[in-house]
Amino acid sequence: MSAVMTPAMRSFESQWQGRRADALSPWRESAMQRFLALGVPTVHDDSWRYTNMRVLQAQSFRDAGANDSALSAPGDASWLTDQGRIPSILIVNGHPRLSAVAAQIDGFEIRSLRELVATEPSRLSRYLEATSDADQRRWELLNTALFADGLHIEIKRPIDTPLCLVHLTGGAGEGNAAYPRVIISAAPGSRATIIEHHLNVGTEATLCNSFTQAELGAGAQLEHYRVFTGHEDATQFDSLDVVQDRDSSCRQFTIALGGSVLRTTLQSRLGEAGAALDSYSLLVGHGERHVDSVVIATHGAPATRSRQTARSVASGSSRTIFNSKVIVSAGASKSDSQQSCRGILLSPTAEIDSRPQLEIHTDEVKCAHGATTGRLDPEMYFYLLSRGLDRDTAQSLLIFAFVADVLTRISLPAARAAIETALIAQLPNAELLRAFR
Amino acid sequence: MLKITNLHVSVAGKQILNGVNLSVNAGEVHAIMGPNGSGKSTLAQVLAGREDYQVTSGAVIFEGRDLLAMPAEERARAGFFLGFQYPVEIPGVNNVYLLKAALNAKRKSAGLPEVDAYEFLSLIKEKMKFMHMSESFLTRGVNEGFSGGEKKRNEVLQMLVLEPKLAILDETDSGLDIDALKIVSEGVNSLRGPQRATILVTHYQRLLDYIAPDQVHVLGGGRILKSGDKSLALELEKRGYDWLVESAVA
Repeated sequence: MSAVMTPAMRSFESQWQGRRADALSPWRESAMQRFLALGVPTVHDDSWRYTNMRVLQAQSFRDAGANDSALSAPGDASWLTDQGRIPSILIVNGHPRLSAVAAQIDGFEIRSLRELVATEPSRLSRYLEATSDADQRRWELLNTALFADGLHIEIKRPIDTPLCLVHLTGGAGEGNAAYPRVIISAAPGSRATIIEHHLNVGTEATLCNSFTQAELGAGAQLEHYRVFTGHEDATQFDSLDVVQDRDSSCRQFTIALGGSVLRTTLQSRLGEAGAALDSYSLLVGHGERHVDSVVIATHGAPATRSRQTARSVASGSSRTIFNSKVIVSAGASKSDSQQSCRGILLSPTAEIDSRPQLEIHTDEVKCAHGATTGRLDPEMYFYLLSRGLDRDTAQSLLIFAFVADVLTRISLPAARAAIETALIAQLPNAELLRAFR
Repeated sequence: MLKITNLHVSVAGKQILNGVNLSVNAGEVHAIMGPNGSGKSTLAQVLAGREDYQVTSGAVIFEGRDLLAMPAEERARAGFFLGFQYPVEIPGVNNVYLLKAALNAKRKSAGLPEVDAYEFLSLIKEKMKFMHMSESFLTRGVNEGFSGGEKKRNEVLQMLVLEPKLAILDETDSGLDIDALKIVSEGVNSLRGPQRATILVTHYQRLLDYIAPDQVHVLGGGRILKSGDKSLALELEKRGYDWLVESAVA
């Protein structure tokens, strides 16, 4: 059975037909055929019930170029590099511009996927295998079929210097589509911080379908940030898969500050004992933005630990959705999980949906979850008013205090300051909050 | 300074205050005592401007103004201060920032310029020293992770910085050990003066050993059952509240 051939589907197929064969073609072919059979997800697919793809289906997309003139010299495109102090790699529409700087960071081995496909495709093919839940992961299938280039990052030992990947999507004209692919492989005992900043050039409608896979060896520690600051006509589907070995730990931050439609997925498989995931999501709905965030932690071994913390703030007629799921597989006893999803509505036309779910297939586990959505805490609000603060100031301070649950966990001071600045600009009474800092 | 006339208040449909009458003059310290559930905290909260408490009848005049018509923030700026029984924790909002914003809000409404940052910090440090508070307070969120005693000290610190005309301290003494009680009492006493007044809401006579009240009132069943001087507190210490509550019912 084939999916309905909408303009979007036809344009994806046409991009596929324009691809040259490479050493990974068998895997890509299989992914593409599956995607074409399944089609774009609809609200009838449980995981997509809050995000309607009707507008996207009517659009037509084409390959965004790697060297568009609009993309010249965007060296300081990202405000997350601490004014260039954090080494960065620019990735333009999925094509990395490997700089000498990044190559010099001791402990990282960074290569382009294009190069690896040509020289050592056998190292990549396993990342392209379809997973058993592939039907639920259609954008990942499309990325596998269509990524033209990307990065393979090996973390060989503990590294103190963070690395920033600056993903730029867009170009001249409407309908530019990019498929950035990043593979991170952390050796046993290694440690690193990787930031992925997604942003756009130009103002016209774009699609970024990005996919990052990370493998953490025994005892490896990865701190991963993905920060989205796309423009008002940008659609982004970002998937992050993490596979964790014994005693590895992943701290993951998802910061949604931009885009028209933004869907982020984090799937972590805690595959061996002692593996731990701490995920923090800050979802900011502003204007008409639609943010749909999914975090799934699968406890596949005993004594694994996961923490999911999400804070949503929605103003205007925006909508934020946080779907959080913990799966404890059979045999994964002594698993320990906590899910905390809280949201604050700042306007009567905004909407927040929180859906914490638990799926437990074993005994002797500790799983806690909580979700609240509402207005500001009335006790806190009254306390501030009783000290003479005006209502705007009191409200702004409390909103800021609310998102501090995530912000204070950011361990890179420069990143935290930059994220705070960008966040404040999207909150009511931004000028009051600037004075507050 | 404060005149409460026949104040009736209900909370979530339940009548809590049933005609409170009370006059407090400048320069005075009043103590309000009474058993649990007598309406002491409701009185304190409603005077501070809690919007979910309904005033069903009565009037409150503060410094010649209709207090009940003023929103909470305006009451604070006019010189009213409530020391909370259970000060709320607000992680993410810094203590010092709150104090500065509060002081500036008050100064602004009085037509004064904002306080100088350097002067403000030395003022805070001086008051913190007086209240025996550690420097770590400066970098922490409002009441964040504070012990019960630290929270109460922080309430008094805020009072010392804001210098209100009328302060109501709602069980500021409860949960304090004897050293903390002395510090808190010194803080309250340091603000006594002919232009100010204080209302102490308390369960125990103990606090009144350190802060001598001009008048003591017993609240029961939402009304003031008896008023007297300091000797009334001593009598309550010996006899409890039952005799007053029973005679009021009879």
